[in-house]
Amino acid sequence: MEFSEHIKTANVEDVVLRRPFHPPMQGTLCVTGHHLLFSNRDGDSSRLVLLLLRNIDAIEKRPSGSSGTITLKCKDLCVLQLDIPGMEECLNIARSIEYLSSLDIVSDMYPFFYRPLKLSLQDQWGLSSAEQNYAQMEELQDRWRLSHVNKDYSVCPSYPPAVIVPHSIDDETLVKVAKFRQGGRFPVLCYYHRKNGMVIMRSSQPLTGANRKRCREDELLLQAVIDGSGLGYIIDTRSNQQAQQARMTGGGFESKSSYSCWKRLHRQLERGKVLQESLIKLVEACGDHSHSVDRWLSKLENSKWLSHVHTALATAGLLAECVERDGHSVLVHGSEGTDTTLLVSSLAQLILDPKTRTLAGFLGLLEREWLLAGHPFQQRCAHSAYSHARLRLEAPVFVLLLDCVWQLARQFPLAMGFSEPLLLRLAMEVYASDYGTFLCNSDQERCAAGVKERTHCLFQFLLKPSERERYSNPLYEPTELAIWPSVQPQSLQLWRGLFLRWTQHAVHLEKAQEELRNLVIECRGAS
Amino acid sequence: MASASIPVYNCSNNPLENSSSQNASRESLKMEPLAVTLLPGEERVIDKDIMYICPFSGPVKGKVFITNYRLYFKSADADPSVTLNVPLGAIGRVEKMGGASSRGENSYGLDITCKDMRNLRFALKQEGHSRRDIFDILFRYAFPLSHGLFLFAYLSQEKYEENGWSVYKPMEEFRRQGLPTDKWRITFINDNYELCDTYPTILVVPFKATEEDLRKVSTFRSRGRIPVLSWIHRENQAVICRCSQPLVGMSGKRNKDDERYLDVIREANGTAKLTIYDARPSVNAVANKATGGGYEGDDTYQNAELVFLDIHNIHVMRESLKKLKDIVYPNVEESHWLSSLESTHWLEHIKLVLSGAIQVADKISGGNSVVVHCSDGWDRTAQLTSLAMLMLDSHYRTLRGFQVLLEKEWISFGHKFASRIGHGDKNHADQDRSPIFVQFIDCVWQMTKQFPTAFEFNERLLMTILDHLFSCRFGTFLYNCESARHTNEVRSKTVSLWSLVNSDSTSYLNPFYTPESSRVLYPVASMRHLELWVTYYIRWNPRIRQQQQSPVEQRYMELLALRDEYLKKLEELQLTDSSPNSSHLSNSSAPNAASPTQHITHLHTPF
Repeated sequence: MEFSEHIKTANVEDVVLRRPFHPPMQGTLCVTGHHLLFSNRDGDSSRLVLLLLRNIDAIEKRPSGSSGTITLKCKDLCVLQLDIPGMEECLNIARSIEYLSSLDIVSDMYPFFYRPLKLSLQDQWGLSSAEQNYAQMEELQDRWRLSHVNKDYSVCPSYPPAVIVPHSIDDETLVKVAKFRQGGRFPVLCYYHRKNGMVIMRSSQPLTGANRKRCREDELLLQAVIDGSGLGYIIDTRSNQQAQQARMTGGGFESKSSYSCWKRLHRQLERGKVLQESLIKLVEACGDHSHSVDRWLSKLENSKWLSHVHTALATAGLLAECVERDGHSVLVHGSEGTDTTLLVSSLAQLILDPKTRTLAGFLGLLEREWLLAGHPFQQRCAHSAYSHARLRLEAPVFVLLLDCVWQLARQFPLAMGFSEPLLLRLAMEVYASDYGTFLCNSDQERCAAGVKERTHCLFQFLLKPSERERYSNPLYEPTELAIWPSVQPQSLQLWRGLFLRWTQHAVHLEKAQEELRNLVIECRGAS
Repeated sequence: MASASIPVYNCSNNPLENSSSQNASRESLKMEPLAVTLLPGEERVIDKDIMYICPFSGPVKGKVFITNYRLYFKSADADPSVTLNVPLGAIGRVEKMGGASSRGENSYGLDITCKDMRNLRFALKQEGHSRRDIFDILFRYAFPLSHGLFLFAYLSQEKYEENGWSVYKPMEEFRRQGLPTDKWRITFINDNYELCDTYPTILVVPFKATEEDLRKVSTFRSRGRIPVLSWIHRENQAVICRCSQPLVGMSGKRNKDDERYLDVIREANGTAKLTIYDARPSVNAVANKATGGGYEGDDTYQNAELVFLDIHNIHVMRESLKKLKDIVYPNVEESHWLSSLESTHWLEHIKLVLSGAIQVADKISGGNSVVVHCSDGWDRTAQLTSLAMLMLDSHYRTLRGFQVLLEKEWISFGHKFASRIGHGDKNHADQDRSPIFVQFIDCVWQMTKQFPTAFEFNERLLMTILDHLFSCRFGTFLYNCESARHTNEVRSKTVSLWSLVNSDSTSYLNPFYTPESSRVLYPVASMRHLELWVTYYIRWNPRIRQQQQSPVEQRYMELLALRDEYLKKLEELQLTDSSPNSSHLSNSSAPNAASPTQHITHLHTPF
């Protein structure tokens, strides 16, 4: 596609840029296919501000006399303003931004054009393969096998080509089970607990429907998971009532009579629109600076964001408790098994598994449990909290995950090998990125679009020595113990680093954090 | 460290009946079996078998010991092992619960309300008036002043290496500030507490004001608390003066001497307009006229501007903290935590106090002198001046300097600790009680959170100060003013809290402290950036993660120790290197080898 058709005015002089923490700046604005470029030459020094168009969530234009003002509200929650002389130029630029910031075709997006000198397209894409992961876990190999039944994505389009399933269940059975699970997402292993051999499985809901259909193969598979160990738990991320209602539309749940060795626990996690609206309310409250009657805490509470954080952490805690303390295997699912399911399963792994708490381990977890497991990033992150567009499939599930991880890291400041800046960076990259990692909705889509050949991998980049240093936690002290988060409302805090990042006051707080970090690094360096 | 405290994720109707979660919550209650080591001078008064009604793990059988200093409880069983260690000074109210004929289990006993955000309930057997002796003893020893007994501070025989009473010497502190100057002099007019019985003996006043002027001004200020200097800016010579309200009254009285006196303060460093910060909401200031008080009208004080800071009075603060206690003890309000917290207004009051102090500090930084007062000038005024001084003067952010700040602005200038806390007094409903000092320490905590490297002391110091604000183990916070302390010979008969602290100062140091002498700290006083001090207000709740020491601090100390060890080894290496009999070693260190000296250059980190 030719981007130039959508750029009527490419350059405007004497534009004033206003952004947080900086005095207004006058200079030249330039629109390219993927960026807004603002440059100002002040004597010898020239300053350049580069904004990825994809990062723009909402644009508001306001004419004033012969000139116009464009307000850009970004997905990283920053708000910028451009004062543009000339009404026509202003409208042209606004139109270009509107169009170019919401490109739909994956191969038009910036990651396909990003070619930094220091990276090569030949570099490895992704951190490790399913085969490697499986090979590393020797202790599970006598009971679990790697199945390639999905090698051409025909059994489950949102699953990766290889998944781990009980040894005793053959591929034929898996195909039948897949037909009984929404979207073909049959139960697969996502975590093996070395201490007691218990596992975490995840899937989508069974398609029992109104007349309580059964599927012998599905029952067999779950029976094989517990393999005589007595009892397993199913954590359904919907309320009991929601699960009952799902039967009317062909979905359902594992009934006591058909799955006698499994006990269902219902924990309602919000998702979709409810979650998106919660984020919108939260961001609104954070940006609202009418100081007269503040009522900040009420607004924060009304956004319900922290109660979503609470439920997610509490459910993950429950899951981890089942596995570690009570010694039971757990299957977790909601409806599609691509949102809250992944949220709960990955948080539980962080609680239980020290390997996922290193920088590389955490990125590996995200790769396994979010990218390969088929979280539909493109749909969920098309827009963020400012957009005026009608909401479709947007939902900040991944941001919620990052927030929960931040809460864990705050409660256990030594247990994580990575630091807050990494979480902030991921929160930004997931919406707008130079890298291809978060493009598309599944592994299949990424392969089809050539993401792995034609874009660079964010996770690989973040593990380069220079970046690694910036994103690691200097206080890190590995612990083999489980880290049980406190989920009392007093123990959960607003993630100021993300949500109040662009407010006046954040600067010195950020500076203080940086200072602390430097002190520790200095000390570490010396020892 | 990880599994220190274990929360419970299951609701009551949980299907994991045999789950270990219940044990887990008990486990987290477990404390180190505390051997009751009595303090020197502490004596056991009574022991009794009793049932402690623990709000977190239910009734616990055990034994209670009461001494002349504390109430100590130890459970009979190890599982759950529960101990309580409460200084009697922290007890605000003791009541009998239930009667001889009360029905129901554990309905007969004692109900104790503490000043440190908790309540305790004990149950006894109903027969034979079993609670009579313990109630009487507790009532006597918890409120010794109401029963003609001594506060424990007068009975304590504790000895410390450091003498905390030598921490604050007013003359030394004024000299540190660069006083006297040609504009400010030191006066001993209050040597016998005659000018003002709630002020210290040594005062700093304008050079131009004579003793006669001071006497005249004192007649126009509530309780004779005239404007005196608290702090002076070394470079621009702007000053913070503190006082009480002027006695304007309904008729709008004027006092030429007072007006002239304030103008002399203004002139001292050429301030164009003296800013008078009245801590009160303006309506309260107006209302005070009815009782003879008031504020400086701008028609009478021509070169001054009056700013009201809207901070509420002691009664409002008392009710606010009471509401906060209601939502955190024993059970934390969970379903509407944030709006409940908002409805206590506690953080809002913190915000107003902090933003008032910021305004004061900002004016001073700009070179303008200020006068701060409220009604009597011993509650809100002390909060504002001391917080502003903490922002302006890095000395007060050191461990010793902070002690000086408290001794000066709070203790010597007559914050009425005895009345506000009610030391040893049974009258729990006394309207004079108010958590003004607790609120101030909370403000300091907020600042330490926002500037983690700017304070030499840590959170533990703040907690220790608040614990001994109530405990009556030390003389530091006893009595309302210096003259009362003098009469009661506090310095010779009791031990200072700073003796305890300074004899073990490493426990109270912030390892991240990086001295920066010239920096003025402006904390963010926006609701969005203030936090509830959970580790203090909710510390009795076992579900809230409590750490003895912040893990970050601890880890950093370990790293520091490692570094020191490494440096020491290097030094030793160097020593052997330079000693003559090992010269062959130094020869062998070729330029491209990593010789110790090369290392040492980048090891000199600015600590």
